[in-house]
Amino acid sequence: MAADLKFAKTHEWVRSEASGVHTVGISSYAVEALTDLVFMQLPAVGKKVKAGESFGEIESVKAVSDLYAPISGEIVEVNTALPGKLDTLGKDPYGEGWVVRIKADNPADLDTLLDRGAYESLVGSQPH
Amino acid sequence: MGRAVNTLTIWWDPAADGPTNMAADECLAAEAERRGSLLMRFYDWSATTVSLGGFQKIEDARQVREISGIPVVRRPSGGGAIVHGSDLTYAAAVPKDHPLGASPQILYDALHGAMVEALAAHGIDVQPHPAGRPDVPDTDSSSSRFFCFDRRSAGDLVMASPTAGTCCKVMGSAQRRLAGVVLQHGSLLLQSNAGVRGAARHLGVADLLLGERPPERVGLSRAWAQRIAAALGGAMREEEASFLSDHSRDVAALTARFREDRWLARR
Repeated sequence: MAADLKFAKTHEWVRSEASGVHTVGISSYAVEALTDLVFMQLPAVGKKVKAGESFGEIESVKAVSDLYAPISGEIVEVNTALPGKLDTLGKDPYGEGWVVRIKADNPADLDTLLDRGAYESLVGSQPH
Repeated sequence: MGRAVNTLTIWWDPAADGPTNMAADECLAAEAERRGSLLMRFYDWSATTVSLGGFQKIEDARQVREISGIPVVRRPSGGGAIVHGSDLTYAAAVPKDHPLGASPQILYDALHGAMVEALAAHGIDVQPHPAGRPDVPDTDSSSSRFFCFDRRSAGDLVMASPTAGTCCKVMGSAQRRLAGVVLQHGSLLLQSNAGVRGAARHLGVADLLLGERPPERVGLSRAWAQRIAAALGGAMREEEASFLSDHSRDVAALTARFREDRWLARR
């Protein structure tokens, strides 16, 4: 797990970039917990999202899970290849498995997210 | 209200239509998040109804002739389509930070494991479908992937068919995992549904007992819930009023969304 990532309690990660456009994905913990992914619904480019609101959905064999925006802003890029190659989420969740890129409305949103250590403590306290 | 992590609270609800039941289940999820504990609602359907999984295509439903003319509702949870009317239907909701809420399989296994025990007390042997076993449809019809009871995944409950020499799925569940709470829908097929034919009709517990009467629904549900609570190390509490009457305003506010074509035909 890369050190430069921040995490939401809902298991999305964010990689900050100087341009103000931030890459968002799903943590390896969440992907493993869902198991056997079968479908993913992603937003359109241009969609405005608010931190904590659902921006997409992912379905595993038995569960539908919402994807929550870790920061507020505008979706400026979507990994459109992902729904056709869901195994990428398991193989490379912090690289090729990125989900969307968001142009942040407020950089301070990032301060509300967990750093790697705090996120590992969170998931380490949860039963598998 | 303080958290009661090891308490299970249950409600018995009268028959209602599909949109009302789905709205009530979303309210149940919100209530579980407020209370911080496991809640369950047992309910019936005012008419034979098909519930679709959250991502199933409405066009696929329209192509299944055997369910033509039957009311259809879309669940917020995943999984395959279920024809309700001869099953034990439940909804369970638990906060994600509850011991049962952390991952999908934990809640499936806890609830399905307790049902194995509850049915065993009636002399009925059902077993969880093992992890890693191929998800082989029971039939080769074109609709075999459409119905929940034609799919199998780890933890689904299966029962031996005394005549066919195979196992049939009799219980399945599916979840919606929200930011802070998990809603799980599930169905134990007590007997085949006389309201449908062909691919839409699946063998239930009574059919696999060669026509014996299935366990009485309320008694079985209560015994099941008591076992779930015991496994949590706590108590089961039955609410006297129905969930629908206790939460009538909230349920009514949410029901409209489940009646809309925009929701039903979202895929």
